[in-house]
Amino acid sequence: MLPKKPMSFLFSRNVFLSISKRVGANAGPGPRHGQRNFGISRCLTAKPPLTRRVREKVEIPGLEQVTYADRLHFVPGLAKPVFPRWERDYKDPRFFKSPPAHELPLFKEKPCYVFNQRTSVLEGVRQALWLTKSKKISGLPPHLLSLAQMPENQLPDQDRRVQDAIKHARFWDTTEPRTSKEKYSHTLLLNLLHLCAAQRSSHPAIGRRILAEKYSLAATWRRGEDLFQVRGQNGLLQCAMDPLPGVCGKDEVVGTSDHILETFYPVSPTIDLQQVNVYQEDVNCTGFIGDYAYPHAHTLYLLEIEESGFKLLPEQFRAKMVMFSFGNALARAHKLFGTQPRSLLEHPITVQAVGTNGRIFQFLVFQLNTTDLSGDDGIKNQVWLDEDAELYDFAKVRPLIKKKQVKVRNPSMSQLSAPSDSLWRTWSDVSECVTLITAFHPIHLEIFPCNRN
Amino acid sequence: MALSCLTRALRSLTLSQPVLLSSQVKLGTLGTNTVSQCRGFLTTASLEQNRTFWKQREKYSIKPMGMKKTGGRDHTGKIRTHGIGGGHKQRYRWIDFQRLRYEADKEGQPFEEKVVEVRYDPCRSADIALVASGNRKRWIIATENMQVGDLIKTSNVIGRMAVSASEGDAYPLGALPVGTLVNNLEIQPGRGSEYIRAAGTSGVLLRKVNGTAIVQLPSKQQVQVLETCMVTVGRVSNIDHNKRIIGKAGRNRWLGIRPSSGLWQRKGGWAGRKIKPLPPMKSYVNLPSISAN
Repeated sequence: MLPKKPMSFLFSRNVFLSISKRVGANAGPGPRHGQRNFGISRCLTAKPPLTRRVREKVEIPGLEQVTYADRLHFVPGLAKPVFPRWERDYKDPRFFKSPPAHELPLFKEKPCYVFNQRTSVLEGVRQALWLTKSKKISGLPPHLLSLAQMPENQLPDQDRRVQDAIKHARFWDTTEPRTSKEKYSHTLLLNLLHLCAAQRSSHPAIGRRILAEKYSLAATWRRGEDLFQVRGQNGLLQCAMDPLPGVCGKDEVVGTSDHILETFYPVSPTIDLQQVNVYQEDVNCTGFIGDYAYPHAHTLYLLEIEESGFKLLPEQFRAKMVMFSFGNALARAHKLFGTQPRSLLEHPITVQAVGTNGRIFQFLVFQLNTTDLSGDDGIKNQVWLDEDAELYDFAKVRPLIKKKQVKVRNPSMSQLSAPSDSLWRTWSDVSECVTLITAFHPIHLEIFPCNRN
Repeated sequence: MALSCLTRALRSLTLSQPVLLSSQVKLGTLGTNTVSQCRGFLTTASLEQNRTFWKQREKYSIKPMGMKKTGGRDHTGKIRTHGIGGGHKQRYRWIDFQRLRYEADKEGQPFEEKVVEVRYDPCRSADIALVASGNRKRWIIATENMQVGDLIKTSNVIGRMAVSASEGDAYPLGALPVGTLVNNLEIQPGRGSEYIRAAGTSGVLLRKVNGTAIVQLPSKQQVQVLETCMVTVGRVSNIDHNKRIIGKAGRNRWLGIRPSSGLWQRKGGWAGRKIKPLPPMKSYVNLPSISAN
């Protein structure tokens, strides 16, 4: 390049370069690195980055290299000094780096399979049943259903109050056009819980319960050769001073030993569980310290909401309900009877769970009969699961306009508009569901007065 | 800082600065610090986006990853492939092309997998299937009739008798009967499938000769590979891919395909009917091994 040196003074530098570049195509070196030519298109001047020649470093033992370390600046001909890596001599949490896993004191070779609140197990409830060694019975236990039908367990003016609860959650709880799912499912649950708590005058046992949020659970068990844990925060827990009585009698419990657990070849039951190598063995914690006044887990309320990063499908959500109610029961059993596995518990531990997405409710009763979970034979635990009970069909925020006619049946429910139809239509279901929720609270102590203090 | 940069850049543009002699240019390239190296204006965005770092992961995951669009440019910023750019945002699902990948501590045994999901993939014309077995899940290319809940088998055993394979199973070529429709062909054992992966395609196992197998590709070209190369039985899914109607120019833009340049070019010898003989069979059998060099 630059063959005509005197001519270059006549031209602007850029023009000259561009001409020479066009003429010479790719022959010769391009413009000086870093210099831009604004006159011509970019594709003509682009060139691959310079390849750096890597010098071979010769290490001669016993010979010290002369570096420019003491000069504090670069000196040609002197070697580049190599300094030891700077270690921070004070503690800064922003730049904390945990040591590698195998150097941690809790590291173990054998992995532990952890179920946490974000776990979405592939096979859903079937996998949860295998993990907890349980037998599933569809529908709720009959005495629970009969309790829901009893008139003394129903609130005065129940239909209207439940409708108000729904309307509050879906329509009135926001200044936006529509409420978000996270918000209305949470509000609806709290509203219904509030309705249940209103029955305290007729069911004084409600006063002996308390709601706990954001508690952290840990329970450990062995299944076959593998070690399993249920860990982490889960929904809203209603704790009670008195334990829930068992759902079924001894005979039925012993009868579960004939049940054969379902397997799912070729998928392993441990699929999708988190494998960790750093864990505590035999960790069991109900989430509350020893002398907590409400030690018994009564009912667990879980919300099926999409958070960033994870989303559970309904089947996986039910599996989560099974796992966490089992975890609560197991942690309690380990606390009561010790961590040694027992093939048959004298007093089975019962935990209920209610899951909702703001419209559809899932009800579950878990009875822990055994803590000996290693083998597939013997007595199993029991799960009663009532799936997909709809509280209402849909709640439409804007009125349904069909052929220029606004469909509003009840003038007092103008805000509810379209859903009023569906609400009325499925009203029998609604009342049943709500009484079920209410039934989850006050029931047992009335049936089994022996447990009342 | 910015101001000093600007002034330096402007200074380099002025006429009064003496033009560098060729000897000086050489000196400058040698790396001595006598000539001040200034970067001048930076008029383009960082070219880092044209690198494919997003794809280089340590561990396999079935989670879709976000892709970075290149617009057909390579790492220097030059157009490498014309006609690429824009389009709907897509996410990349990592396909496990090596069908015979054993799970840890289960080496050497034939295994079965269960199809969990069959779905569309934006990054290829064929559909993909999520399969699960043991403790792992992975994406593979779905075959034509693959359904959720199917069990598909993978084996590396070459028996004396040819197996009667059902669709979706993967076997070495030597284990299959002659005339089988195959897809996802490996050309080197253990390298992962590279041929016959597009929607609706299939190859035919023509014959097996002393440790090698000859397969006819969808282009009717024949390749000769070792008989231990893994292959999937059947035809690749989404067989109606060539019958879809794009409908309008804009849909091609949604797919990230840009129109061609529009420059008029005289038709040459490439245009018009010609009948060429099939290329000779391509052999991948006696590849020079790395250790021989």
